[in-house]
Amino acid sequence: MVSEEKRKDILERLRKGVVEFDEDMVREAAKEALEVGMDALDAIMNGLVAGMEEVGELFDKGEYFVPEVLMCADALYAGLDILRPHVKKEDIKVTGQVVIGVVEGDVHDIGKNLVKMMFEVAGFEVVDLGKDVPLEKFVEESLNTNADIVALSAMMTTTMLGIPKVIEMIRKKNPNVKIMVGGAPVSKDAAEKWGADAWAPDATNAVNEAINMIKGLKKEIMERKED
Amino acid sequence: MSAMNSKERISKIFSKNDDIDRIACFSGMGNVTMEGLKKYGYAFYEIHLDAEKMANAACTSYELYNFECAVVPFDLGIEAEVLGAEMNFYTHKERESIIYPTVKKKAIQEPEDLKIPENVAERNRVPLVLKALEIMQERVGDFVPVATYILGPYTLAGQLMDLEKLLKMSFKNPDRINDLLSNLTNFLIELGTIYRDVGIDYLTVREMGAPTDVLSPRMFKNLIQPHLKRLFSKLKKLKLPIVLHICGNTNPIVELMWESSPTAISVDQKNEVDKTREKLGDDAIIFGNIDPYGVLVKGGIDDIRNAVKKAIEGGVDSVWPGCDIWPAVSKENMLAFVKAVEEFGKR
Ligand code: B12
Repeated sequence: MVSEEKRKDILERLRKGVVEFDEDMVREAAKEALEVGMDALDAIMNGLVAGMEEVGELFDKGEYFVPEVLMCADALYAGLDILRPHVKKEDIKVTGQVVIGVVEGDVHDIGKNLVKMMFEVAGFEVVDLGKDVPLEKFVEESLNTNADIVALSAMMTTTMLGIPKVIEMIRKKNPNVKIMVGGAPVSKDAAEKWGADAWAPDATNAVNEAINMIKGLKKEIMERKED
Repeated sequence: MSAMNSKERISKIFSKNDDIDRIACFSGMGNVTMEGLKKYGYAFYEIHLDAEKMANAACTSYELYNFECAVVPFDLGIEAEVLGAEMNFYTHKERESIIYPTVKKKAIQEPEDLKIPENVAERNRVPLVLKALEIMQERVGDFVPVATYILGPYTLAGQLMDLEKLLKMSFKNPDRINDLLSNLTNFLIELGTIYRDVGIDYLTVREMGAPTDVLSPRMFKNLIQPHLKRLFSKLKKLKLPIVLHICGNTNPIVELMWESSPTAISVDQKNEVDKTREKLGDDAIIFGNIDPYGVLVKGGIDDIRNAVKKAIEGGVDSVWPGCDIWPAVSKENMLAFVKAVEEFGKR
């Protein structure tokens, strides 16, 4: 068993390595975590993910900008690559599966990529359809992947109008999947009007909303079973 | 002050000559409207691909609303195509849809892959834009300024290579990106010169990939501003007024924008214009900052009038929309917009 002091030291280096986008620091700390027999999931959640949450806050506060966040993400992934294979099978509980993309005609994908990253950090399995995605593709992929959530992003007011179309198509073909929408021009009111299940103003809130939805989804399934 | 036409007015505004009847309502970016396209029965996707249609469309905002300029093109792909990117023009979409052209295939993988071709004036859609500018000069050039835009070097880099890669490399290997931006700046000087030679009244440089929503002020200063400075100093030697436009949050970088020494700067609705005026002083020429969607499309007449009033009270030298005018804007709103400037902008 690793001493509490050592554990704290490693977690701190993982966290700091992510926040300061120091891939080497993260790699070394991750290797050491394994060497001293630390629980890999503990290292991920309380080291790497804690660091990334801090990065999200720094971004929201305007202290970090997009390049910084992308590099923090690289540091996080460097650690994940080392630690993930050692997470005990019974500990792997995928929070849910998300299909995400930017709607057709829209190439603004900086925001979507941040949302995607926060989903991955939170333990979601993410299928990224990229940007400028034909509307039908969201429906197809949501069916192919058996996703829990489809997340739609739009950054322009015209391309945004693709969102209600996707929602309508998905509801017809895949009524159980939850739909989350976002992007600068998409207001909470619009999201409600279109019948989306969730909306969020930024990446951090997107994940919180998603987790709530998944909980709701599981509850719905349980209740349906009881009926 | 006797009435003057838009061309005279705007030419004076660019030289900070106060002998004007009122400030102007114009733009250096796209300002075509669906209402204007209706006049010719054009689909939005057609006007990027034909010089005459492009020119006709570009004159409609002046003709319909007295919006005081004629500007082409409408998309951000001209330079990227010349440098090897492939575009999607969505010509298979419904005629009434407004989908802007997008880059579907990037031109380079690594910054060093960039190749600048010879005879830029004859490449891809450059001749088309040149032809359109000629037509526009002939049609409306005596009364309103005719203009075009180029991308800033960093925004152009983002059109050419994977954006995430560019953003990360800007941090990890700034030297490689610096070299790329330097080469792109040479290319943009050449392109700007070509546009000047065909006869334009001002040129806008759109560095929209670099607001502080995306990049830190520090990176703007270290990596981007030096190239803008060189670009502007070369282009200004051609006696061509240059406007630097950056959308998004520009509050922390307005000084840097102005220090890069364009003729004027243009900012959007996220900018606190009154503070910007205070920071930059009376000599600076500032254009802005009407929200092109939230106010011009979504707003009512009162919202538009209030926004115009606020921009003028904040100290703009002319009223510009914060980005491309959104084509779906209504005729009533455009008319109210121009009228508000005519009314509140009197000297
Ligand atoms: C960078 C940029 C570009 C880059 C895009 C590069 C890229 N790969 O993304 C380039 C230069 C290519 C570009 C092109 C164009 N652009 Co542009 N661009 C911007 C700019 C400056 C910043 C956008 C950005 O990345 N913000 C930073 C990110 C982090 O924020 P975000 O995207 O909002 O994301 C956050 C939230 O919205 C949320 N979120 C995002 N997605 C989702 C999804 C879900 C499910 C959830 C829950 C949350 C969520 O979380 C994110 C993180 O917190 C904006 C202006 C601005 N400041 O917003 C204009 C802007 C978006 N562009 C605009 C325009 C008009 C264009 C062009 C049409 C210009 C032209 N004439 O061709 C073209 C479009 C081409 C096309 N067909 O798509 C307009 C759109 C206007 C409108 N009416 O909608 C804007 C608003 C500028 C303006 N002031 O008018 N642009």
